[in-house]
Amino acid sequence: MTAIQSASRDAIVSIGHLNKSFGAFHVLKDVDLDVGRGEVVVIIGASGSGKSTLIRCVNGLEMYQSGRLTVDGFSMPTEADRAIGGEKELARIRKGVGMVFQQFNLFPHMSAIDNVAIAPIRVRGRKPDEARANALRLLDRVGLRDHAHKLPAQLSGGQQQRVAIARSLAMEPHIMLFDEPTSALDPEMVGEVLDVMRELAREGMTMMIVTHEMGFAREVADRVVYIDHGRILEIGTPAEIFDRPTHERTRTFLSRVLRH
Amino acid sequence: MSTLALHWVHRNLFAKPFDAALSLVVIPLLAWAVYAFGHWALIDAHWQVVGGSFKVLMAGIYPADQLWRAWFAVAILCAMFGAGLGLSVRPGRAALTVVASLAILIAAGVAAAINPHAGVVTAISAVLGIAAWIGVHHAAVDQRIVLSGLLAGVVAIFVVLSPPGFEVWGGLLLSVVLTIAVSILTLPFGILLALGRQSRVTSLRLISTAYIETMRSVPLILVVYWIWIIVPLLAPDTSVPGLLRGMAGFALFFAAYVAEYVRSGLQAVPRGQIEAARSLAMNTWTLNVEIVLPQALRVVIPSLVGQILDIFNGATLVFIIGLTDFLRAGQMILADPQNSGRTYEIYVFLFAVYLAIGGAITYASRRLEAHLARGSR
Repeated sequence: MTAIQSASRDAIVSIGHLNKSFGAFHVLKDVDLDVGRGEVVVIIGASGSGKSTLIRCVNGLEMYQSGRLTVDGFSMPTEADRAIGGEKELARIRKGVGMVFQQFNLFPHMSAIDNVAIAPIRVRGRKPDEARANALRLLDRVGLRDHAHKLPAQLSGGQQQRVAIARSLAMEPHIMLFDEPTSALDPEMVGEVLDVMRELAREGMTMMIVTHEMGFAREVADRVVYIDHGRILEIGTPAEIFDRPTHERTRTFLSRVLRH
Repeated sequence: MSTLALHWVHRNLFAKPFDAALSLVVIPLLAWAVYAFGHWALIDAHWQVVGGSFKVLMAGIYPADQLWRAWFAVAILCAMFGAGLGLSVRPGRAALTVVASLAILIAAGVAAAINPHAGVVTAISAVLGIAAWIGVHHAAVDQRIVLSGLLAGVVAIFVVLSPPGFEVWGGLLLSVVLTIAVSILTLPFGILLALGRQSRVTSLRLISTAYIETMRSVPLILVVYWIWIIVPLLAPDTSVPGLLRGMAGFALFFAAYVAEYVRSGLQAVPRGQIEAARSLAMNTWTLNVEIVLPQALRVVIPSLVGQILDIFNGATLVFIIGLTDFLRAGQMILADPQNSGRTYEIYVFLFAVYLAIGGAITYASRRLEAHLARGSR
């Protein structure tokens, strides 16, 4: 439990009593979670448990109704705040938060290098030449320098996801969110994406990862969060969660996903 | 007849008793119609009337000593058309041959109808167009540069044609210039309306929706007439030329249709695209300009090109506000007692030209559709 307390001291993401509903459906119930700088937090749970919704709240893709959510020192506007503005704070937060999606969501009308360079140019106001040079460096880092001028449709799923990671990194985020980054990939391409993520973790990037790759979670996570029906049931080190889960539900879930 | 041909005839025309009966009725009828028309067109018709009134058909009452301006506009149009072609159609040997022979045919026709000098100018314009086609394609000129070039071309046409006054614009030239100007004007307006209709700002959404639905529920001619009447009421001291008022009416009307096309394109852009752009902190403007619109417009370009045909055909209605478009110019020629009895010649000529231009636009729209379908994912 010491890991949890030390993390909260210098938290980059701080979530307290967060509640989120889609209409009458209460998705997240009274969620508390702090993520420290440089920490890798893996969130696991059954589908529909609210784990994706939780990280989508962190960059404001989903709106929450009540509670507290601060990212990088900025407080995320609630749904009520956003109905009357709040766009500026939202943009300020998003500049520091990268996100990688299950379906990659690359821009299909742009080459890989333009996918990576567009946000630095149009959001940060970088010079196109510099942004593209930097984009090429990032593509090199994810092993795709030779594919820089291809369109997303010409790349494999694993390559597309690596471009998507480079695209997020181009904004120089302080924290990266991964929403099931390997779930849409063919099995033989999962490894190449996980390798890039492993490398990022080693370099000290703060990451919140939703994944079903339990082996990977055990390997890279500082802490694992188990969510069940919108509630955080357990938080602990990988050893604590995977080897000595305290809750019956956690045990049931793990036995189901680890069986194969 | 070879067996292959016999086989084709059997399978396509006489496969079943009903097919055979239908063929036996339709084929002789068709043959008779072709013969009758051919006989009339080649032997009975007096095509001199078309040659004699060529200037009126093409340019209306545009002053004869200023006609070089019209020719200049033709050259610019050809270059613009070629440049546009260069973006989507590869100038292969077959395509080039077809276009070049068409150009030679038209130039020869013009030379015969007016004078050799005009034929030469037509040929030069055609060469300019073909050069632009090959040039844009091989130099792989950036789309944005070509589009700005096209815009500059339209402005140049207006600048060149305007000195004698908008009142004297007429004939095919008026129809074509009106169509191009309206097509371009409707695009930004239609896009803004489509975005407005999807806006989170309620007042914007309501105004856009009301505008689009109103325009789509009334006839084009009413809008054109209405704008023609209302402009002098709003600005009593200025005299806005009828042509510009007509254009405004057309643009206001067709923008509503563009908006609906664009809206269907916007809906075709996956939600994940917007989420990805948002997660990169793009604001709404950047998101639309860089991510959403390029994808949405790609889907609707064939429909938008198809709409150019609607505008071109709709342009025949401007006679109601006193403008002399191509069709009206033909009727004016027939109003001359000297040309009485030449009704068929004029209308057949009008029909042929409308069919040729309409066919070209339809073909372009099909090609674009195939081209864009190949280019996407």
